[in-house]
Amino acid sequence: MKISLNWIKEFVDLSDISTQNIISKLTMSGLEVEDVIDQTNLYKNFIVGFVKEIEKHPNADKLTICKVFDGKDDLQVICGAANVKAGQKVVFAPIGTEIPNGKFLIKKAKIRGVESYGMICAEDELLLSNDHSGIMVLDEKLDSGKSITEALNLNDVILDIAITPNRPDALSHIGVARDLAALFDRDLKIPKIKLTESEEIIQNLAAVEISDPVNCPRYIAKVVKDVRIKESPKWLKDKLEKIGLRPRNNIVDITNLILHECGQPLHAFDLDKLNNQKIVVKSTKSETTFATLDSKERKLPLNTLMICDGKREVAIAGVMGGENSEITESTKNILIESAYFHPSSIRKTSKALGLSTDASYRFERGTDPNITKYAAERCAQLISELADGKVAKGIIDVYPKVINPKEIELRFSRTTQILGYEVIPEKIKNILSRLGLAIKVLEDDKLLVSIPTFRPDIEREIDLIEEIARINGYDNIPTVSKINITLEQKTDETEVDEKIRQTATALGFYEMINNPLQSEEDAALTGNPIKIQNPLSADMECLRTSLLSGALITISKNIRQGVKDLKLFEIGDSFTKTADGEIESFNDFNEKQNLLFVITGNTTSKTWNSEENKSDFYDLKGLVDSFLSKISLDNVLIDSYYSAANVIYDYYLTKNFKEVVLGSGGKLQNEVLKQFDINQDVYGFEFDLTALKSIESKPKSYKEPLKYPKIIRDFAFVLDKSVKYLDVKEFIKKKSSALLKVISVFDVFESESLGVDKKSLAFTLEYFDENRTLTEDEVERDFNNLIILITKEFNAQLRGK
Amino acid sequence: MLDKNITEIKESFYSDIKSVSSIKDVEDIRIKYFSRNGLVSQLFEELKDVVKEEKPILGKKLNLLRNEVTAYFEEVKDRISSSGLNKENKLDLTLPGSEYIVGSKHILTQTLDEIKSIFKGLGFSVANGPELESDYYNFESLNFPADHPARDMQDTFFVSKDFLLRTHTTPVQIRIMEKQTPPVRAIMPGRVYRNEAVSARSYCMFHQVDGIYVDTDVTFAELKGTLVSFAKQFYGSDLKYRFRPSFFPFTEPSAEMDITCYLCHGKGCKICKNSGWLEILGCGMVDPNVFKFVNYDSERYTGYAFGMGIERIALLKYGITDIRIFFDNDLRFLKQF
Repeated sequence: MKISLNWIKEFVDLSDISTQNIISKLTMSGLEVEDVIDQTNLYKNFIVGFVKEIEKHPNADKLTICKVFDGKDDLQVICGAANVKAGQKVVFAPIGTEIPNGKFLIKKAKIRGVESYGMICAEDELLLSNDHSGIMVLDEKLDSGKSITEALNLNDVILDIAITPNRPDALSHIGVARDLAALFDRDLKIPKIKLTESEEIIQNLAAVEISDPVNCPRYIAKVVKDVRIKESPKWLKDKLEKIGLRPRNNIVDITNLILHECGQPLHAFDLDKLNNQKIVVKSTKSETTFATLDSKERKLPLNTLMICDGKREVAIAGVMGGENSEITESTKNILIESAYFHPSSIRKTSKALGLSTDASYRFERGTDPNITKYAAERCAQLISELADGKVAKGIIDVYPKVINPKEIELRFSRTTQILGYEVIPEKIKNILSRLGLAIKVLEDDKLLVSIPTFRPDIEREIDLIEEIARINGYDNIPTVSKINITLEQKTDETEVDEKIRQTATALGFYEMINNPLQSEEDAALTGNPIKIQNPLSADMECLRTSLLSGALITISKNIRQGVKDLKLFEIGDSFTKTADGEIESFNDFNEKQNLLFVITGNTTSKTWNSEENKSDFYDLKGLVDSFLSKISLDNVLIDSYYSAANVIYDYYLTKNFKEVVLGSGGKLQNEVLKQFDINQDVYGFEFDLTALKSIESKPKSYKEPLKYPKIIRDFAFVLDKSVKYLDVKEFIKKKSSALLKVISVFDVFESESLGVDKKSLAFTLEYFDENRTLTEDEVERDFNNLIILITKEFNAQLRGK
Repeated sequence: MLDKNITEIKESFYSDIKSVSSIKDVEDIRIKYFSRNGLVSQLFEELKDVVKEEKPILGKKLNLLRNEVTAYFEEVKDRISSSGLNKENKLDLTLPGSEYIVGSKHILTQTLDEIKSIFKGLGFSVANGPELESDYYNFESLNFPADHPARDMQDTFFVSKDFLLRTHTTPVQIRIMEKQTPPVRAIMPGRVYRNEAVSARSYCMFHQVDGIYVDTDVTFAELKGTLVSFAKQFYGSDLKYRFRPSFFPFTEPSAEMDITCYLCHGKGCKICKNSGWLEILGCGMVDPNVFKFVNYDSERYTGYAFGMGIERIALLKYGITDIRIFFDNDLRFLKQF
């Protein structure tokens, strides 16, 4: 919201206070100043110039060579505007001037071969308006060489203030002035009404009826007759232009002035266009269309609050007037509307129509029902002064249920309890009074505070405490240098995640964070997805059902960037629908935390001392096992199951704890990869972290390193290809003596030379005992026995040896 | 005389060889000391003129000198001429070492880790909550009025009438307070969603950390002290700060905390929009209406709450100009941190 500091100063005397101080106090009291235009500084180099003579530029049709007198010298200046003429007084920017719009510096320049010593300016270049139709032409009587800050009265400071939604009272100059009055401990001066009324009684000229008093608690009408619609005087136009409004005619400009002065939106109707000279406030009972005064036909939903006359709608209440009753040049008699509409009603209408106006913006945040009379009278006064109107006697004020100020008790002790320091009672009383609140002392510790209706945000004691804190300054609240740390139990629900991340990165994986919003096609790949009712776009209309598709999108993007070897992981939530129909409770869907690993490309790349190593299923499997071991789940019995293809994987591994599936993964189907434009193998494994975290891992305990030597034996067998490693291993485990502690495979070999459909498996066996040294004999016996048993069981043949 | 010369030549040799750094230097030394007319050979010439009685002693001394300096010279010569290669195998030690890949956490995780560790040191627990939330937790219990603009479709992703993707991590405050009686002191990191068009400056999902502390005697002064301590640990101890009044439905009084712009040190620049200040978090005293929803007695207990965006912090800290890069997961980006 734009605020003119000169305008503010009509209501509070700040003549001895620097602009910088005003800005900083406003920001530090919650009215954040986001931008400042200090005209005196901005226009300090611009002067009034006199165009003595002009001639066509020899090399450019649209350019003119002007001789401009700057008060001392005649300067040659090139001008591109069509409206430049000899004899004009213009705004002249000499060399060295910074042009506000675009912040560029005027330098001596050669334009199409002719030198130019300055610039003649248009309004938009000065940020005075958006007008770039031609140069600004000034009053001929102005002296050449005079500074324009003086000549055009450009000595204001315009502030752009961000008003938080709880402060509708600050959406006007008087509202901001009231805060400043409190901040600098000064009086607030509000313009007095000086109204001369005619003999004609308003009740004989118009009538008002409210048939929806909930949405329109108060409606005031004032009538002014025999007005002359014309251009507003300069002071009024200047005021509006400075805060970015375009002047229209005296009546509209006056209503705008009052809105920005005291925050009350007004509307002026052409009284003669109102059927039966009557106003009825009611809500629409059917869908209808209505032409607003911006010449647009608008569709009105059911229950839109409307202002009607005796026959038809004439305005959308609180939002915009209608074309059928607007002020035109021929308007003679005027009905001024000054009403209070319920905020949610106006918000609803404004949203439904997609139409926000200065009026609706204020009504939907909450205006003051009790300023309506003042605003109507001030408007009537200004119309009589600036449009020669005759103000009808009296006022129509339909206010079925008067809204009175609330009363709130405030304890000084509570103020201290919340803020952590004592604001002395005298100071508190002063702050509240300056903000326009009436106070009465109840007890030593207690005030009764009456809250005027312009502060709908102050409803409770805590709201008063905020006002005190805000005006006294947050800087005055001490910053403690000591805190109590109570010894309540501390927990960290992200601790396991952290351990997982550490493990994953140590294993060489990089963490991704993918967008959980994805296309239905991608989300449906791994489950029944939840749809967003109001998605940004079709490729973000569902929540992911697993982390897989997000990772595949990432892999695909990286491959396109030429990065083909990837080891990535992600921890994140996935969402699946567990019931049909609308989600009505937390039981209708399942949000769980997942962990995904993906591997693609080479696990080691080719370098001068290593061969490239293409990733495969065993890289994935090994990763999963070392991961489980690193996060201390190696001492819990986790089962592995191996399966052939499903929709996602060609073949895959599943990890279970008892009945609970902890996760699964394998080699992704080419069909799936094609969906993501990937044409290299990808291996992925996804854990259900929620399930994984529910397993209680046994605490680790120390195991003494082995003191006695191991005896190690190797053997290799030729077996049918169909014999599985795990079966042989389990068989060895079952048949061997208790001294055999470790069985591992060290070679797998397939070759024609072994016979058709044969393979060789080579094992290393480690024998040892924690309490003694083994003898060669006892190992040899067991070893030889195993050879015989394996040969028999698997139809195997011992190799070599 | 010869005795003295032996000592001198020895000293001069060691001094010369100290500055040897190239094959050419080595050759110069060889010529100066070990060539036919070199200094060492000259000493042997001198030995001829020495009186008979002194010859054996000086001769022995001279031989010792020659052996010592020759051995040292050979060693230096070897080192210089085979620089980068070891002696036996002639390995080229300048070849690059084998590659060890240690992955890394996402930069947003790393930023969060830093924030977490500071607050844990200040006595805070860390809690999680769901991303798919109910209207009750996300809005109603946090004192958002029924027709608050945030509650309509413009800003929030809805999956049904009453369920939505949380727009902040603040609902976890309610979840913790429902479970536990004061004192409650925790931070709540997590992912949040806003129905905002994706651009360099905004994304439809991002990350936040909320915090809350409720107990008897929790004051605004303690809120300031705690957050200043956090900011100084995170941004540096010489930072300047300010608390500005603001508005949030769930806190009263509310504030925004600004720190001096780290780029321009308060002079005003593009990053801080010429104000010299950067807003880093929102905070305030927990609104008594919020306590009503969790059945806390607001006369007995007071509390503060705060919240900050992690992306914003990381953008500022690492000079990243496009928020989308966080979620592109381009390995060339991930590898940098």
